[in-house]
Amino acid sequence: MIFHVDGSTGKKLGIAALNGRLDAKNSSELLTSFERWQQQTNLIILDCSKLDLIDSSGLGAVVSCLRKAIEKNGDLKLANLSPKVAMVFELTKAKKLFSIFTDTGSALQSF
Amino acid sequence: MKTLIIIRERDYVWLRTVFPDIHPLLFPICNKPFIEFLIDFSILSGSEAVRIVSDGSLIDVEEYCDNGSLWGTAISYSSIMSMDDQRAVIEKNRRFCSEEKILIISGLVFIQYDKLHDYKSLFASQPNGDLLVCNGGSLSLTGNPPKLQKNSAPLSLSLIALDSLDGYYRLCMEILGFASSPYVLPGYNNEAYCHIGRNVVISKSAEIRKPVMIGNNVQILEDSIIGPGSVIGSNVIIDRKSTVTESIVLANTYIGEQLEVQNKIAAGNMLIEPEGGICITMDDPHLLTGIKKSGSVRSLLRFLVHSFAALLLITLQLIPFLILSPILTIQGKWKKSKNIYYTGTAGETLTLTTTTIERRGFISSLAAALSLDRFTLLFSVLRGRLAVIGSSLELASDSNTTLHEVESWYHAGVFSYAEAEEWPVSGGDKAIVERYFSVHGNPFLDITMTIKAFFNRIHETNTP
Repeated sequence: MIFHVDGSTGKKLGIAALNGRLDAKNSSELLTSFERWQQQTNLIILDCSKLDLIDSSGLGAVVSCLRKAIEKNGDLKLANLSPKVAMVFELTKAKKLFSIFTDTGSALQSF
Repeated sequence: MKTLIIIRERDYVWLRTVFPDIHPLLFPICNKPFIEFLIDFSILSGSEAVRIVSDGSLIDVEEYCDNGSLWGTAISYSSIMSMDDQRAVIEKNRRFCSEEKILIISGLVFIQYDKLHDYKSLFASQPNGDLLVCNGGSLSLTGNPPKLQKNSAPLSLSLIALDSLDGYYRLCMEILGFASSPYVLPGYNNEAYCHIGRNVVISKSAEIRKPVMIGNNVQILEDSIIGPGSVIGSNVIIDRKSTVTESIVLANTYIGEQLEVQNKIAAGNMLIEPEGGICITMDDPHLLTGIKKSGSVRSLLRFLVHSFAALLLITLQLIPFLILSPILTIQGKWKKSKNIYYTGTAGETLTLTTTTIERRGFISSLAAALSLDRFTLLFSVLRGRLAVIGSSLELASDSNTTLHEVESWYHAGVFSYAEAEEWPVSGGDKAIVERYFSVHGNPFLDITMTIKAFFNRIHETNTP
């Protein structure tokens, strides 16, 4: 998980790139990292272009991240979902909870 | 009139890559195996006999259709070479095709027919040659020409090539939505566009929206919504608060809680988006998973009989084993090795310690004759991991992974059918005899075969 802060839109926006699998083994890592990222900004984009697989634990972690962001008046948006990951979001109705963008550029502009 | 159904492996490669365990002729279209549509049509056409020919395996189809008595027709099977054209196929089935008018269904094609039409007299008046052709195959007539030809007779038939998952999905949706009446479809059908199978449990709070088709042994739990436009296969569980819309859920599938399945094909732990051809395999049993078929009475009986036989052998071998194995170990004639072997059909593996006895001297020959090298394996029978007699143990390795994941007949045993039949215990011949008994065997025959194997091993020169 690589995180950086982008200021190109005039706002301090965080972009976190997820890769590989997000499942029971590393979902807690996302939660702890997210709290660390929140110290820099509360407006965060998860770039899922390199995320191959997500399971229910991973989804739970992403939803927890959204809740944490909202609690601190921030937001969490998703970008670059692969078709397979998008299918999991659709199947679990998690798609309805998130703002999902086809690329990080669109996600940056949406804040 | 007779019907010749020709299906080649190349016709269904696309289906085998996604569903390697289901023969395309048995693949369900609206909960009815595809072959049944073809048989129904051949009967409507006045066929008294059906022959299914293929360059691939027809074992599963043969097991399902048997001799056709279920449909009141005679079904037979034949093999062809992949390069055989239609003429060569007819030539190879000369006896079947002689003196009759033959309806030939070639390729993986769905025939859109109407059960109320009279195809018997229609085909009797049609000239020989292709009646319908599409990308995936054709429908043609051959054999005796009609006495009176009426070329202008409307066919009221059409062919749909089954050449992609998207095509399959659209066909199912079409039949379910507005074209179910021309076919005989499974399930109770008290109202239009709603077919429900046997032993279906629908929770009071669940909602069923037509058109819908539900198979046998299905559970639809609280607050679930099924349909519109859903085909639910047999032995399926739709868990609480889930929605299945315009989707096909194939047999033996569990759909987890609070899920939304829309415009998809769900099969076991696979979820397929037919339009894009995207297929994901869920590792997460909370979302989507396959339901293992509960053990049938036959498999329970087989387990009980095999366990009894194993217990009997353990009792017989216990004392000789306790006495002879330490002696042979000291002599260096009792050699153990630990390996991973395939156990069953799904490519499951088991780590086993196998023994080799070096037959030099009286004690080792006696131990080998008593099959003491198999003693420890008998305990795996009691745990249901091995059969007392079955296929010979195959080492699990990358090179033969595919074979045992696909071959449904493989079921590892302490003794092998090849040993019982004094067949060469290696090579292709062994596979033939093991395959034969896996299909034609029964638990009580297994006892006889175990005794034969046990006695045959007395004459063996060395333990494998």
